[in-house]
Amino acid sequence: MTLTLLDELLLFSGVTVLVAMLLGRRLPAGWMVTILYGIQLLALMKMAPLGYGGEPISSALTFEVMGQTLSWRFDALSWYFALITLGSALLSSWYACGEWEQRFRQSGGNLWLFHLAMTLNVFSMLILLASGDLLSLFIGWELVSWAGFLLMAMAGGVATKAAMRYITYAMAGAMAIFGGIALVYVSAGSLQYEAILTAASQMSTAHLWMLVILFGAGFGIKMGLMPFHLWQAPAYAETPGPGSAFLGAISSRMGLFAILLVLVKLFGIVNIDSLKIPFTLIDARDLLAWIAVFTIIFPTFTAMKQNDARQLLAWHGIGQGGYMLLGLVVADAMGAAGGLLHVFNHATYQAALFMAVTAVIHRTGTADLNKLGGLVVRMPLTFMVLLVGIIGLAGLPPMNGFVSKWLVYRSLLNEGMPLLFVAAVIGTLGTILSVYKLIHNIFLGQLRIEHDNVKEAPWSMMIPMLILAAIIFITGLLPGIPLAWVASVQQAVGLPVSDYTLGGVESASGSLDMIWVIGVLFAGFGIGALIFYFAGGRSKRVHQLDNYAGGHFLTADVRYQYSDNFYAGLMHLIGGWYRGSFLWLEQSVKSLVEFLSLGMQGLYRRANAEFYLLSTALFVIAWVVI
Amino acid sequence: MSSIKQIPVITERKGNPLARVFDEFVRFCRSRSLFILHYCTGCGAIELPPAMTSRFDMERLGIQPMVSPRQADILLITGYVSIKTLKRVILTYEQMGSPKYVIGICSCTVNGGMYWQSYATAKKLDEYMPVDLYIAGCMPRPEAVLAGLQKLMDRIHSGEANSWEDYFRNYDYYLGNQQKLFGENWQTPTDIITEAKHYDLIDEGTFGKHTQLLEQHQKPLEALDMRLGHDLKEPTE
Amino acid sequence: MAPMELIIELLLMPLVAFVVGMMMVLMMRRIAAKLQRRIGPPFFQPLYDIVKLHSKQTQISHGLIHDIGIVMAMGGYIAAETLLPVPGMTGIAEKGGIITLLYLMMIPSLGLALGVGQCANPNGSIGIARALTAMLAYDIPLVIVIFGVAYAAGTTNLVDIIAVQQAGGFETWGAVQMPVLAIAGLIAMHASLGKQPFEIYIAPAEIATGPMVEMSGKYLGGLFVMQCFQLYTTSVLYVSLFLGGGTTWFDFLLKSFLVLAIPVSIAYLFPRYRTEDLLRLMWKWPVMLGLIGVAFVL
Ligand code: SF4
Repeated sequence: MTLTLLDELLLFSGVTVLVAMLLGRRLPAGWMVTILYGIQLLALMKMAPLGYGGEPISSALTFEVMGQTLSWRFDALSWYFALITLGSALLSSWYACGEWEQRFRQSGGNLWLFHLAMTLNVFSMLILLASGDLLSLFIGWELVSWAGFLLMAMAGGVATKAAMRYITYAMAGAMAIFGGIALVYVSAGSLQYEAILTAASQMSTAHLWMLVILFGAGFGIKMGLMPFHLWQAPAYAETPGPGSAFLGAISSRMGLFAILLVLVKLFGIVNIDSLKIPFTLIDARDLLAWIAVFTIIFPTFTAMKQNDARQLLAWHGIGQGGYMLLGLVVADAMGAAGGLLHVFNHATYQAALFMAVTAVIHRTGTADLNKLGGLVVRMPLTFMVLLVGIIGLAGLPPMNGFVSKWLVYRSLLNEGMPLLFVAAVIGTLGTILSVYKLIHNIFLGQLRIEHDNVKEAPWSMMIPMLILAAIIFITGLLPGIPLAWVASVQQAVGLPVSDYTLGGVESASGSLDMIWVIGVLFAGFGIGALIFYFAGGRSKRVHQLDNYAGGHFLTADVRYQYSDNFYAGLMHLIGGWYRGSFLWLEQSVKSLVEFLSLGMQGLYRRANAEFYLLSTALFVIAWVVI
Repeated sequence: MSSIKQIPVITERKGNPLARVFDEFVRFCRSRSLFILHYCTGCGAIELPPAMTSRFDMERLGIQPMVSPRQADILLITGYVSIKTLKRVILTYEQMGSPKYVIGICSCTVNGGMYWQSYATAKKLDEYMPVDLYIAGCMPRPEAVLAGLQKLMDRIHSGEANSWEDYFRNYDYYLGNQQKLFGENWQTPTDIITEAKHYDLIDEGTFGKHTQLLEQHQKPLEALDMRLGHDLKEPTE
Repeated sequence: MAPMELIIELLLMPLVAFVVGMMMVLMMRRIAAKLQRRIGPPFFQPLYDIVKLHSKQTQISHGLIHDIGIVMAMGGYIAAETLLPVPGMTGIAEKGGIITLLYLMMIPSLGLALGVGQCANPNGSIGIARALTAMLAYDIPLVIVIFGVAYAAGTTNLVDIIAVQQAGGFETWGAVQMPVLAIAGLIAMHASLGKQPFEIYIAPAEIATGPMVEMSGKYLGGLFVMQCFQLYTTSVLYVSLFLGGGTTWFDFLLKSFLVLAIPVSIAYLFPRYRTEDLLRLMWKWPVMLGLIGVAFVL
């Protein structure tokens, strides 16, 4: 048996887990793990032809289980996601090395568990990405869920509660997926992708509906799609800093990967299009699109109300997932490219943002947006990273988030979907409001006295952040680089491919060339700077207390900062719309389950147990036979 | 204080004629675009709305009201200044960007007017800040206000209205008067001395025993410089 | 296109925008004066103001971001002008299209927002919070309108959108083809100018001119320049979307000034709305009109 490139990658990943487990208590464990991630990334780079339309690489390892072959393989789709996974793992692990690690240990954190959980996450994600049939997909899926649980739960306290909530959702999702797999097996007789592809075209509508709902719900839970989004923000926000950067960057995209694989590649988005909902004008695809749009809007506006920087970012993470799904559901060349590109872009800026916020926590000890302010003079580089990140998150030029969102908008425009288009823009506007609050309350405004001696984040944390900021800008300037990978992914899952160039997209009905746009933008800034610095007199830097206060004399003990209830006017109007309906829904489901289980318990205890067993068994037999 | 040394000696400026034209143009623009901050201290403020609105229309002279001292060129003191108010007036004046001009409207700003005997009123405004122009009257009509403003415009155009430099050059004198009135602990959040240094407006009168007194108790007001702080000592926990 | 020619265009377009913008400021102030039965400022008043502000000898800065904010506010608009075709010059309009332009137009305000943030003045921060809220209010009808126009023209390229309208003379103008959208666009445009009754983020009597509170000298001067660009961009964008752009400079400028005169004349007759009333108004009428208009287009 010869080892293929894929085997090498998985082997290295396994070794990383082992190293973290056995040597994780030693001091340089963090660096060792980071280097091993680097090696994994190199192994992935050897498979780079995949990203440019190369042939899939399969693993030499196969199993026979109950007549089913379990196999693993990498194609363009897996490669693209694996690249993002390993990249974010490498950078967040790098970030964790050095000072953050020391502080974490001093404050009583279990570093061994942290590294182990991270490596396990990466390993299980790679296994999931490499799955070659539905059974191995399911195994990978379960591994990812539990590895994620480990990482989320490790901080203890609130984090464990959030993680419990996550695992409850994940198990429910796994049940749905398992049901879906069983259904597929019944109709296709096999779990191999090829067999399913042929079977999918002949499935009845009801059957297809059932599958779309089961798989959609199962994978959607991981992605945090509405109405299954509640677990995600608290779970990600409570994870230790670099862990939340990693989870926020890629973890929930595994759901998107599975949706792409199963719903788009196997069942075909066109088949789904034919699923009409009776008595309405919409079909299953519209339904998905609207779910995507609600996933954009509601979490984004929830984010706006958060007063904790990490919670705010985590809520945005959910919202941005909506753009990806929206682009994919539109499924024309531009939309799909936008959705897929957004996975990459989101991973870069979300990781950068979480890292920047963690750096602030590292230095000031809080992420409470009402207890910070003015830090730009003390942590200018972190400010810059956060600024780059929020421009990306808000989807404005010149950062990469703009390109992917532009593609999604264009596709909605081309297909003539005004409501979805407007909803997507509302999401973007909400994001702008919310990220301004983030940067203003942390870095702008008045510097508090207690933060006067704050230092910039240590270089061990700064360098990964700066690398990410550079990636965000460069892929914004030259979106052609990731678009090439995206194009081969589109090919691999059978979607139309857009006509990309190095600077953007070429299209008869309006193209985009970021090189020009950014060039002109910076030229404009240059001219603006010339006017500003040379056409006017000198200015003098003054202390923040030398400030207009209607003639009042400001002193250092006066808090002269506007941070709480930041969008007061807006909240006056829409504040009443936040009803927590989804929380209520979750609560009621929970109570219902509790009530039922209580009832069942009572029945079971009081009545003749054997009778119930017998009748259940009879019922099952009858169901199977009939 | 308009000291004898400060009487401008008009020298025919030589040099680049283009630069002279440019200077002339800038002075002209300055005189034709005046943003006023009316500090409505006393009764006189009531005469300003008519001066701004349809009857007299200040805007045709390029004069318009502004809100914060940062934006304004002219500080209009419209009436008697109580001591409590004067503190705010001084802070406001110091926060304005130069070239800045002060106009005292109403007799009360000239010499205390009918509040001469009041214990709580500052009598002469020009003891505390350089005043470019007084418009006397109890209270002056809008015509008088406009005439005064036009006078100021002429002075700006000809380059005579530079009393704002006097505040920097003779800061010790003004500070002394302020300290006499408000006590020795007097300090505004603005920092005139570093500003004078920054813009090279230091003169003999800038420093003196009053500024020494200020420096003794002054709370530091340096601008917060952007810094990485990697050379700082690790805070002990 | 020869590179030299392109560079000249790229430099000329913002310059023209600035000069025309100054005249628009003048027009705005003259209209206000006429409505209040005043004479109003002299012809060169906007120039005097800008020169005066830039010639201030002392001014304060609250830090580097404060400076950069002003640079971005001016620079963002300078860049945006090159995406806005005018008669005889298209700049790089083909390379970005209208969505890009829409987003580039946000850059100056957001740059300014950063700068104001560093001033550490709550009036400024409140002003920015309100300005962003206002943006949320008027951008929703605006994107509906832009969606309608772009969908009807079948392109996001502004040059093509203008060409489509000029193809059949007056009848093919956007405003004639899509009158409902044109009305919705006019309301949204009025709000985006930030003039009364939508002036919630300046509100001099309430939050001391909000974002401008700590701006002195050339900082304020930069904002005056930005205002010229803003007036120009808004009205020219409207002309390009609905009034068929311009074939000659004369009719182009005529249309732009006339379009701008409408909201400006309305503005000075009104006091100010509160933030939530602005939101309510914007999300109700122009959105409704816009959606009806889009329904016609589809
Ligand atoms: S001069 Fe007359 S009108 Fe003016 S403040 Fe004094 S008392 Fe009032």
